[in-house]
Amino acid sequence: MTGVNASQRNYRVILPENALARWLEWLGGFYTLTGPVGGGVAARFTEISKFEQMDLDYQSTMLPPGKKYLFEPVEEVLSFDVSEGVFSSGPYPPGRKRALIGVHPCDVNAILYLDMVFLSGPYADPFYRARRENTFIIALNCKSVTGLCFCHLVGAGPYLKAVSGYDILLTEIGEEEGAERRGGKNRKFMVELVSEKARELCDVFPFSMGEQPEEKDFEKMSRMEAALLKSFRKNLDMEGVQSALLSRPDHHALKETADSRCLSCSNCVMVCPTCFCHDVMDKTDVSLSRSRRVRRWDACQDISFAQVHGGNFRAQRHARLRQFVYHKLDYEEQFGRKGTVGCGRCIRWCPTGIDLTEIARAMME
Amino acid sequence: MGARRPRAGFFKFTCCSGCGFELAYFQRCLEETLAAFDFAFFRLASSSGTPEGPFDLSLVEGAVTEPFQIIELKKIRQRSKVLYAIGSCAITGGIPAIKALAPEAQVEGAAYKERLYGLASTRPHVINDYVQVDGFIRGCPPGERDLFEALSSALMGKDPEFTEYSVCMECKMADNKCVLVEEGLPCMGPVTNAGCGALCPAHHRACYGCFGLMGQANIHALKGRFRELGHFSEEDIENRFFTLFGALGKTERK
Amino acid sequence: MITRETAKKSLHVPVRAVIKGVKDEAPGVRTLLLEPVEGQFPRAGRVSRPGQFNMLGYPGVGEAPISYSMLPPGKTDAKAEELFGHTIRRAGRVTGYLEKFKEEDEIFFRGPFGRGWPVEEARGKHLLLITGGLGLAPLKPVIEMAPSLGLAGATLLHGARTAGDIIFKAELARWKTGGAVEIGLTVDNPPGNFFKKRQDRGLEGFEKAIGEIRTGLITELIRPLQIDPAKTVAFICGPEIMMRFASRDLMMKGMGGAGIYVSMERRMRCGTGHCGHCQIGPWFTCKDGPVFSCAQLRGLPDVII
Repeated sequence: MTGVNASQRNYRVILPENALARWLEWLGGFYTLTGPVGGGVAARFTEISKFEQMDLDYQSTMLPPGKKYLFEPVEEVLSFDVSEGVFSSGPYPPGRKRALIGVHPCDVNAILYLDMVFLSGPYADPFYRARRENTFIIALNCKSVTGLCFCHLVGAGPYLKAVSGYDILLTEIGEEEGAERRGGKNRKFMVELVSEKARELCDVFPFSMGEQPEEKDFEKMSRMEAALLKSFRKNLDMEGVQSALLSRPDHHALKETADSRCLSCSNCVMVCPTCFCHDVMDKTDVSLSRSRRVRRWDACQDISFAQVHGGNFRAQRHARLRQFVYHKLDYEEQFGRKGTVGCGRCIRWCPTGIDLTEIARAMME
Repeated sequence: MGARRPRAGFFKFTCCSGCGFELAYFQRCLEETLAAFDFAFFRLASSSGTPEGPFDLSLVEGAVTEPFQIIELKKIRQRSKVLYAIGSCAITGGIPAIKALAPEAQVEGAAYKERLYGLASTRPHVINDYVQVDGFIRGCPPGERDLFEALSSALMGKDPEFTEYSVCMECKMADNKCVLVEEGLPCMGPVTNAGCGALCPAHHRACYGCFGLMGQANIHALKGRFRELGHFSEEDIENRFFTLFGALGKTERK
Repeated sequence: MITRETAKKSLHVPVRAVIKGVKDEAPGVRTLLLEPVEGQFPRAGRVSRPGQFNMLGYPGVGEAPISYSMLPPGKTDAKAEELFGHTIRRAGRVTGYLEKFKEEDEIFFRGPFGRGWPVEEARGKHLLLITGGLGLAPLKPVIEMAPSLGLAGATLLHGARTAGDIIFKAELARWKTGGAVEIGLTVDNPPGNFFKKRQDRGLEGFEKAIGEIRTGLITELIRPLQIDPAKTVAFICGPEIMMRFASRDLMMKGMGGAGIYVSMERRMRCGTGHCGHCQIGPWFTCKDGPVFSCAQLRGLPDVII
């Protein structure tokens, strides 16, 4: 955070929480506000009408906000009118623009990963693109770390380093002295307008309510980040993991975990912010008047995921578990980065607590 | 749609008729279904009709618990182009299969005070034990997704594609609170076949596995998890897996 | 802004085609000749290459990835010139449904997808084509363009279960007389043996045209080959187990994995690299394949190459 040049600093302002609340509610005139509700590690992103409904101290959510709102669990991509013989795809969502408020750095990085999946390459998905263009992302740097977080290992947190792909970055940098608000402290947030969209939209408004940050504020942020980095409990040699995994595809750690603990229930994949696999199914009305092609989140842990006529390429449970672990920690060739952002959701929501970093560590020994 | 409506039959063996009720009363596309098919035999909907074939589509609910049912079932199979087992009783044994946990005479003695000489009850069996089944419409009662997949596939003349994944997937897609991880309830969702739309977990109830275990279900791993929850005896855990909808699984393992 | 107009060109919307010809190739295997309607195909900027595939299907049933067995000729105005072909074996849900389709029926497809055979790499070299069963279909366009590729030579080794299961018999005889490709054939069960199949009858004419059909696995034909590893490029297509042993035999003869190409088969739902079903290690079969070099696949899990 040090070495900020003057032009960047122009788009930064320190806002007290009550001003932030007013400003976000003003933003609600342009966007459907969506934020974390219910605190701790099991918050949920939901549509809100008032700033107070949100808990910006939340640590994690079950479903990642990016995946939940940009890549819907079930979506109709195509419909076919049988009697007319015509297809229709779309209309592309959404009717209303959405602002995601308080997205943690890991989840912002996950959205950047989904961008690579759905927007880069020869084919861009129109549904994802429409949602992405209509979504205003307000990121929030973390102020605490859970025992399962390992974003620091892949550069996805706890402070957001990406310089584009989102709109606004918030960082809580302390409390306003003397101010009492609703029985609690009035916190102060560093607000950075990152995207052009944000700079145009928020040209004047927040600056009139806040104060210009000073050098000591940036120093304080650096200190807070350094302190956070020390509080991580998970560690893994990310450099060495790639060669170790690929050279030991039948390692006993994989097989033992699969046999003794893995339920093939796909919870890990469902809550993973970067997992993009989906199934495509055709459904026809019983009156046979209309066919609809629907896509639905799918998971490599399903027994039929790699099934073709005449065989299943991942018939064994450990092969399916391996696909998940490898796709997250290895396979950098796919999109030029690892598939994990270190959010720890797959560990937290696994009914039997399978930890992919522990599997990888055992495989590296 | 072809000029001729496909002839369909709905047959019931030992069960509660819930699957028939689902098809005849509770599903959303009842009108379209009745218009699309010629239900030549469906006792719950009409007392007329004949079980004589041939049928383009036969749906069979209930477990086989009496010898005459075996003969009937084989006749139905011979008369049907496509035969689906519908509901947990027909597919996993379901509730009727609970009697498999005790000797037959003991069960009869408990059910009837006097010995009934007309009774020729046998151990329960799923219909797949006796005839070739083209597909399984799982559930107690079946979920709409699989039911419509079966009906529309029969109309189109294609192979249906039934769900083969866990309840957890549907539960996560609905963004439900996880009753196992967050609340410590003994939820069977991770090893249970989906199709219900995660009905119980959506209402803060643990899944009790009425859709039957999914393929390659890792039972001992989930049992281990239930033990870790701490407040369940070994018998409770065993019952959870092997009484309500898995009684046949228990007898086969012995 | 995305309008309904752009929606029509969406990658999710299939192109309608009319079946202009149906040819039985072998039991359960048919070639469909398709003519796209409405002038939607080939889509701007997309040229079909050998080894690429279309997602072929029908609304309400689904789609299956099927390679070209006959390429559409480049962009021409004459509609009849736009015919292209897919050779399909009845196997799963979609191909089972397509079995019922007749001439003049409508069918829908999206594509072409994937990277095809790297035919430029074979320029000036000897092209070795090794196929098994239906694996001859994706290489048929390569054989037909062989005279224009500037090859030092070309050899086709083809294996099938029985002589009756050999597809493209007329084409094989034509290629044989054309002389651009040397042809070797082998079957697991020879005609006239104990397991003689009814479909083996009436093959005498074919045998006369093609010469000897050997008995045994495809590797029987590879082992006697004399090849110069530096001047040979191999394209292999068939069941994965067959491609494993064929590629290993070639490596034993000194070829490197980079000069051996195989066409992989995986479950596919989208064809565009989004649905994730077709992943082999870091690669998407639909986007990075279906043609891979053996070097790309070496050491990846869930692959037996």
